[in-house]
Amino acid sequence: MFFSSKATTPVTRTRRLSMAVAAGALLGTTILSGCSVANSSGAGGSSSAGAPAAGDTLRVVLQQEPPTLEACESNLTSTGVVVRSTITEPLIERNPTSGELEPKLATEWTSKDDTTWTLKLREGVKFHDGSEFTAEDAAATIDRAVNGKLGCNVEGYVFGDDDLKVKVVDDTTLTVTSPKADPILPLRLSFLEVVPAETSTTEKVREPIGTGPYRLEKWEAGQSISASAFADYWGEAPAFPKANYQWRSEGSVRAAMVTSGEADIATGLSPEDNIGDLGVAYPNNETVALRMHADKAPFTDIKVRQAVNYAIDKEAIVASLYGGRDKAAAQLVPEGVVGHSESLPVWPYDPEKAKSLVEEAKAAGVDTSAQISLVVRSAQFPKIEELGQVIQEQLTQAGLNVKLKMLETSQHLTYQVRPFPTDDEGAIMLMTQHGNQAGDAAFTVDQYMTTKGAQSAFGTPELDKLIATADAATGDDRQGAFEKVFSYQNDNVVQFAHIAHQTGMLGVAATVDYEPNSSSGDELRLAEVTKGQ
Amino acid sequence: MLTYLRKRIISSALPLVVVVVGVFALARMTGNPASLYLPLNATDAMRADFIAKNGLDQPVLVQMADYFGGLLRLDFGTSLRTGEDAAAMALRAFPATLQLAAMTMVIAIVLAIIVGSAAALKPNGVLDRFASFVSMAAASIPDFWLAIVGIWVFAIYLGWLPTSGVMGAAAWVLPVATLVMRPFGALVQVIRGAMVTSLSEPYIKLARSKGATEYRVVTGHALRNAAAPALTVAGDLTVGLINGAVVVETIFGWPGIGKLMIDSILQRDFAVLQACVLLTALAIFVLNIVIDVGYALLDPRVRPTAGARARSKARAIAPGPDSTTPGGPAVPAAAGANA
Repeated sequence: MFFSSKATTPVTRTRRLSMAVAAGALLGTTILSGCSVANSSGAGGSSSAGAPAAGDTLRVVLQQEPPTLEACESNLTSTGVVVRSTITEPLIERNPTSGELEPKLATEWTSKDDTTWTLKLREGVKFHDGSEFTAEDAAATIDRAVNGKLGCNVEGYVFGDDDLKVKVVDDTTLTVTSPKADPILPLRLSFLEVVPAETSTTEKVREPIGTGPYRLEKWEAGQSISASAFADYWGEAPAFPKANYQWRSEGSVRAAMVTSGEADIATGLSPEDNIGDLGVAYPNNETVALRMHADKAPFTDIKVRQAVNYAIDKEAIVASLYGGRDKAAAQLVPEGVVGHSESLPVWPYDPEKAKSLVEEAKAAGVDTSAQISLVVRSAQFPKIEELGQVIQEQLTQAGLNVKLKMLETSQHLTYQVRPFPTDDEGAIMLMTQHGNQAGDAAFTVDQYMTTKGAQSAFGTPELDKLIATADAATGDDRQGAFEKVFSYQNDNVVQFAHIAHQTGMLGVAATVDYEPNSSSGDELRLAEVTKGQ
Repeated sequence: MLTYLRKRIISSALPLVVVVVGVFALARMTGNPASLYLPLNATDAMRADFIAKNGLDQPVLVQMADYFGGLLRLDFGTSLRTGEDAAAMALRAFPATLQLAAMTMVIAIVLAIIVGSAAALKPNGVLDRFASFVSMAAASIPDFWLAIVGIWVFAIYLGWLPTSGVMGAAAWVLPVATLVMRPFGALVQVIRGAMVTSLSEPYIKLARSKGATEYRVVTGHALRNAAAPALTVAGDLTVGLINGAVVVETIFGWPGIGKLMIDSILQRDFAVLQACVLLTALAIFVLNIVIDVGYALLDPRVRPTAGARARSKARAIAPGPDSTTPGGPAVPAAAGANA
């Protein structure tokens, strides 16, 4: 034994030594690499800790990394919040507060027949690569996004299958013709961010060249995007010479970055994130509603759909779940959108009336005990789970049989858009969050209220007619026509039970001055941010 | 050892293929990504275009054949979400996860050896009870809670560390500290248990009677024999970390493969998901080999070369009919080889 032990000792020592060396090397490598994560610029950043320093850099923390910065996908929140009016610019820009269209790269636009529009373009505008902006670029942008085969998100969102005819008259004049009269074509064009004519028409572009006040510097995938003020910008230079975007999916971490001085602006917060006084609430154009599918009992009877409206205590929901910031809703579009009706009353909370309507339906032979599936998307907005539970409870008290179905995004979308699932147990009641970024009710009602609308469960021929009339109307007639549409839905169709117009919240550090508006969540215009006092 | 490695590689190749095929088929059963990538009001023509453009209209078997054909050309496909090469995205994220896992495991193992060994010296003593309490707590604290509390205390209240991110050495502290807890807690328990058993063995008494120092007894004799179970547990814990520390990566904005994989699942970004799974499966396969080699280094009884030596020695002593049969089953070396 002694011999054996002694004989193995040198081997053991060597092995132990080699293992110690290996462990040491592993630790050493890790520690040495500790200053920088693989593929990051690490300590080579702009400050000793590597993070962008306060002062000259405007630091923004978003909910998620943009999938791309492709200009023709800028209607996607995660892309648009970085790109729109910061890296690239549209021809025409909608003022989110007044709703008015304002000149950007186009200085004026006119039409005699609402079919052909003539746009005069701004002179002296340069792209970030130094090239001049001309009508050729504007025409190519429209062609690429609307008429091409690129499958741009903005095409589906704003233009559908209709192609536009684009003609360059001279360097600063352009005509755009739609297949039929379109009084809101300039509003649709405000969704197109202009890129140079040379931009690929077969591939989407991750890092676009624009004319905006900031140019992209570096995109460190997974970590951050940096931009710097564009020296040849045609307009006023932004207050911050540099900008840096990071992203954290956890709201409380985004809030902590603002409160601890690591970021100047954080998007997508809620008061539960402990942002304190640095949280700035703003109406974000989003409306929450329940869409009832009338193909199955008990929703086949309008009385039951009315009962749902009476049974839900919207004011109490707003007060208890959303701190009184949201506003009880009577329609799918909030104030500020053309067509929103100020005079349309919110359905009052009347549980007794709800119960009696359900009883009446039952007496008329409707199976009011049939299951209703309340389909809700997990984590779609703050406290959505609680909201689902409150609604389930209030409808149960009214005598209905509601089952709560929490789904993730992809599954939820199968209920959101036609063709809807038909094999679901019971009648479908979908909780939907609708945002009208465009500022015109046409973008809502065509989708949600027409008989065959992609996100409409049913409609009536009368409502379809009212919608067609409203779509074609202009000026004050347009406002009145859409008001009628919303009123008709509440009185005669009742596909929806509206819950609330929501508010968003930004974290804004004392280092900056910024007043959010209804579009801030979709397009955060960095040039509007100034240095704090 | 090379024969051993070859056998391991061949026997692990099949599970690797099964994993990739399984993920490929299961991912496609979760639904069509068209609705996630097109606007809600996209027309039917746009949906059909999208599906055809991405080959999703083909039968799954055809899609799978295309995918494996691509793999042979090292083409892992393109991300639906970002338009980037899927393999490039996975390879970019993986080192960040590996660094985090390596740092975490090295710290956890070193701390656990120190605490576990110290606790085992006097079972049920004050130190042992304290170590048990600390390790149990460490192993059971939810990491998301610890991460958020860590941010609150060290980043906001004390201001010593950044809340999140990857820039600078300080950014490592909270993610690593959060991740170390669970492996540390589990390993302390394992090492303490193994050391208590080890320290009561006759060879320890013998070593002490030889006059070996307590340090030498613990590190040279007891710890070496207690290392095998610790290695098993450490291996399992490392596999968990290589799969991505999703919670920690999400909270701290760490650009690792766990977060990428979860995002790919939620976004039905099939190509990226498959690239991530293939990469982590390969890494786990390599890790298993490393663990096996580690075993062999720690315990010659499981060392294949030792088995071969034992066989040849047996043949030399008693040549019989067996001696003509090449490559018989590995025979464990004589029990005394480790004495």
